[in-house]
Amino acid sequence: MLKYTLKRLLAFIPMIIAISLIAFIISINAPGDPVESLTKAAGNEGGAEKQSGTAKKDKQKLRKKWGLDLPLFYFSVSDMASCDTLYKVQDRDQRENLERLIHEFGNWSAVNKYYKSLLELQKEQQNIDIESMCKQDTTLDKNKVNEALNQIGFNIVGLLEENKKELVNGKYEILDKLISAETYFPELISPYKLVVKKRESLSKKSTKWKTYIPSINWYGINSQYHWWVFGDLFHSKEAKRKGIIRGDFGVSYKDSQPIKNKIWDKVGISFTLSLLSILIAYLISLPIGIYSAYKKDSKIDKGISLVLFMLYSLPSFFVGTVLLLFFANPDTLLWFPESGIKDPINYNPDWSIFNWERIQHQLPYLVLPLITYTYSSFAFLSRIMRVGMIEIVSQDYIRTARAKGLSENKVILKHALRNSLLPIITVFAAIFPMCVGGSIIIEVIFSIPGMGTEMFNAILNYDYPMIIAFFTLIGFLTMIGYLVADLLYAVVDPRISYK
Amino acid sequence: MIINKENKTDIIKASILTLLYALFFSTIYIGERSVIYISIYCILSVNLSVLIASNIKSKKEVYFKSSLIKKLIVGFILGWIMWPGFGELVGPIIGFYLSSKKKVDATNFSFQKYAWNQFKKNKIALVSLYLLGTLILIARFAPLIANNQPLYAVYKGVTMYPAFEDKKTTVEIKNLQTGEIEKLQYDITDWRKLDLESVIFTPIPYSVDFFDKENNDYVSPNDKQEFTNHKGELIDSPTRFRHHLGTDGKGADLLSGLIHGTRIALKVGLISMGIASFIGIILGAFAGFFGDRDLKMRRVKYYMTLIGLFFGFFYGFGQRKYAISDGFSQSNSEGMIEFTISILIILGITYIFRLSSRLITNKWLSTEISVPIDSMVSRGIEILNSIPRLILIITVTAIMDRSLTIIMVIIGITGWTGIARFTRAEFLRIKSLEYVQASKSLGFSSIRTIFKHALPNALAPVFVSIAFGIASAILIESGLSFLGIGVPDDVVTWGSLLNLGRGNIEAWWLIIFPGIAIFITITIYNMIAEASRDALDPRLKS
Repeated sequence: MLKYTLKRLLAFIPMIIAISLIAFIISINAPGDPVESLTKAAGNEGGAEKQSGTAKKDKQKLRKKWGLDLPLFYFSVSDMASCDTLYKVQDRDQRENLERLIHEFGNWSAVNKYYKSLLELQKEQQNIDIESMCKQDTTLDKNKVNEALNQIGFNIVGLLEENKKELVNGKYEILDKLISAETYFPELISPYKLVVKKRESLSKKSTKWKTYIPSINWYGINSQYHWWVFGDLFHSKEAKRKGIIRGDFGVSYKDSQPIKNKIWDKVGISFTLSLLSILIAYLISLPIGIYSAYKKDSKIDKGISLVLFMLYSLPSFFVGTVLLLFFANPDTLLWFPESGIKDPINYNPDWSIFNWERIQHQLPYLVLPLITYTYSSFAFLSRIMRVGMIEIVSQDYIRTARAKGLSENKVILKHALRNSLLPIITVFAAIFPMCVGGSIIIEVIFSIPGMGTEMFNAILNYDYPMIIAFFTLIGFLTMIGYLVADLLYAVVDPRISYK
Repeated sequence: MIINKENKTDIIKASILTLLYALFFSTIYIGERSVIYISIYCILSVNLSVLIASNIKSKKEVYFKSSLIKKLIVGFILGWIMWPGFGELVGPIIGFYLSSKKKVDATNFSFQKYAWNQFKKNKIALVSLYLLGTLILIARFAPLIANNQPLYAVYKGVTMYPAFEDKKTTVEIKNLQTGEIEKLQYDITDWRKLDLESVIFTPIPYSVDFFDKENNDYVSPNDKQEFTNHKGELIDSPTRFRHHLGTDGKGADLLSGLIHGTRIALKVGLISMGIASFIGIILGAFAGFFGDRDLKMRRVKYYMTLIGLFFGFFYGFGQRKYAISDGFSQSNSEGMIEFTISILIILGITYIFRLSSRLITNKWLSTEISVPIDSMVSRGIEILNSIPRLILIITVTAIMDRSLTIIMVIIGITGWTGIARFTRAEFLRIKSLEYVQASKSLGFSSIRTIFKHALPNALAPVFVSIAFGIASAILIESGLSFLGIGVPDDVVTWGSLLNLGRGNIEAWWLIIFPGIAIFITITIYNMIAEASRDALDPRLKS
């Protein structure tokens, strides 16, 4: 048995790697720059502050803290022209723009010089002090100068981030007018000329052929993916993060709280509900399936089949909303409370799980969600149970049992039932992810403070680390569900070898 | 293509007729005068007809002529329903092809016929099939069923057919007495309130994007509904202009929303499952047909294929990623063209590398090895199955722009596993049958054996899986729209209507009717799938 378990566990490793890879790919493709979002969450975002030195340093620190200054993966495939340290460029837009420039001209050193000259120009532009300028030359119109300076700054930032040809040309025209034609800022002229020169040399020194030769760069374990999964497990350096393998999913964009503190109790609620509903579904569907298989082709069987089929086709969000409409609506019947899972007034948090009073208080809140959770898997299970049972009943050993003169009850419940349980256990592996996935919709309908609602809110708030965390977690837990189903199967069916 | 003495005249006749038809179609019917389009139409249809005509073996038989006309007409009508503008050209050609196929003698046993007879015995499934046809018709003719622009209207002496024309059309009507010019833009004008001399409204005189300002606060189907007539009097809404299923918070008609939602539901089901079955059938067929041992190639060819794929992806996607993303940012069709070019580059480079493997004749490199294609596909299926599908789709839609195309593609890409499994199982069974062995021993290529001989016989069980898949695709799409994270806000689907009802639980009609629409559609697909499974299951044959 142990050997079998270990074997199954080993078989899950590629799947776990695949899930983590998919989650990682999704997370790096999420729109926006993670550091910008994090600083926004910390509440120190401001238009003027964006360019200032301290904010930049803070961002650099954050970037280092979360390992965002590292290459993405253990290795990368790119072309010969591209620079293998490009990931060190901080700003996401600027990085993408640089990538594009390299792709266009195929000459990293020329692109680098052009980029540096632009940064130099930006630095000069930021160093200009209008106050002292106006003091020296009183004839200047302060507002006009200020506006010109801002225009220049805006266009330089645009040049750093923009790559559409027409837009870039337009920006150069504006800069030409502002810097060369008007003479407010003589100190900007020479750096600007350098920029123009470097831009010309870009197309002169273009080595486009380099982009056609592939190259593979190896980065080793100091990569974002490795940090994300394993954290500092293999590093002796300072701790950046612990890695999802030890439950560290980073911080939420919404309130920069660590995600792991936020999700564990939510996961608990959702999984309790899912498992409970699956249990109920099994309990109801077994007798129904057996009965209708026993009465095969009778009117009752046909009726049950039709009803089950209808239930199976009913979308759960529809059922949930209709239940709310009829049974938790002051206009119709207010039998059950509308949302939440506990009584906000009389609920005592110290109650233990099996405390009768607690159950009494929570039960009305759970009835409608549980019905919604249960009914679809229950219809599915009953149908499978029925088919399995019909197949078993036509087997030879059942005929033998009947021929022996055993009572019908004994034949069905002792000989047939055990064997017909096999397919229904395998189905657990299919139902479990279905239930977990469906929990998002059901929890949103009934406002259950579980994982689904949290994920829904995260989607509405563009809180990507949270979404990725839930995705990874659900993937891993589903894997555990599969493992449980496999083991159960091995326990029930002696034909499966443990070796 | 085989052209010989016997069928030469047939081919010439058929190609001349099709050429004339294509010319007629492009110049007179759709009024297309661009040389490029006309020549594309002509070349395409002549080629097709030559291809078909060269295969006609049964033209002397009586049924051929009788079925030809029938099938041409049916093809035209179906083509018009499915794809107006181009289907009318392709439909008759497909009809021509079908009628050219040798008909099975009525006394002979055919599995298709047997399955169809079995299917017909299930009355509920047959009704479902008719209902599906009705839904397709509703979806096809939605703009003529629910539209705020009337089919025919006469206003101040000007005759218009607004429902058949572009909705941005503007008509200028000159008042003869005062000389004032009144401008009517079709989609903005409230046609109900004009003093029209003569008018034929569509059965439901509301579009999805038309908001009734008098009944804009969740008006229930049996409530009092208000209407201002062309004299400016506020009266009870006449039955003609009542919202039979109520309105939402903005005054949009629910029934009209349901009718237009049919389009999206059917489109999502068809397109996403089209993508899924394309991937699933090809992968499953290869996995089942070759298994782990049967796809043998020289070692050097295998390695060269892998290297070729690497270079293909490098030049096709790595090198062209900006071209593709620029294309998609311009328009979907532009992006698809760039994407297709990339795929062609990948195929071409892989092919070149495979060819180049012939130059190497080292002994060790020339030994035959088998490619474990079955294991690869099965592992892929397992991995994709291990992730809860709805969660995966929700996560991916969360980081993408909200668009219907993306949702359909994602549902398709994640939904092929079931189809692949069925195809694989069917191929495992078929590959040891005599006719496949015969085609192998005749020396046909594997591709020909798979797609021409084995696949048509493997499709029946796959069809069941596709029908179930369509139901679940519709379910997923409406679930996403129900949460409000699927399609953009301005697209009205059944799920988004239900979402409005969730936001305002007093508006029961916004919950019940869209829910029933979803339920009926899913039941129809499930019923058809279930009945065809019963009909195709050989175990029930006895």
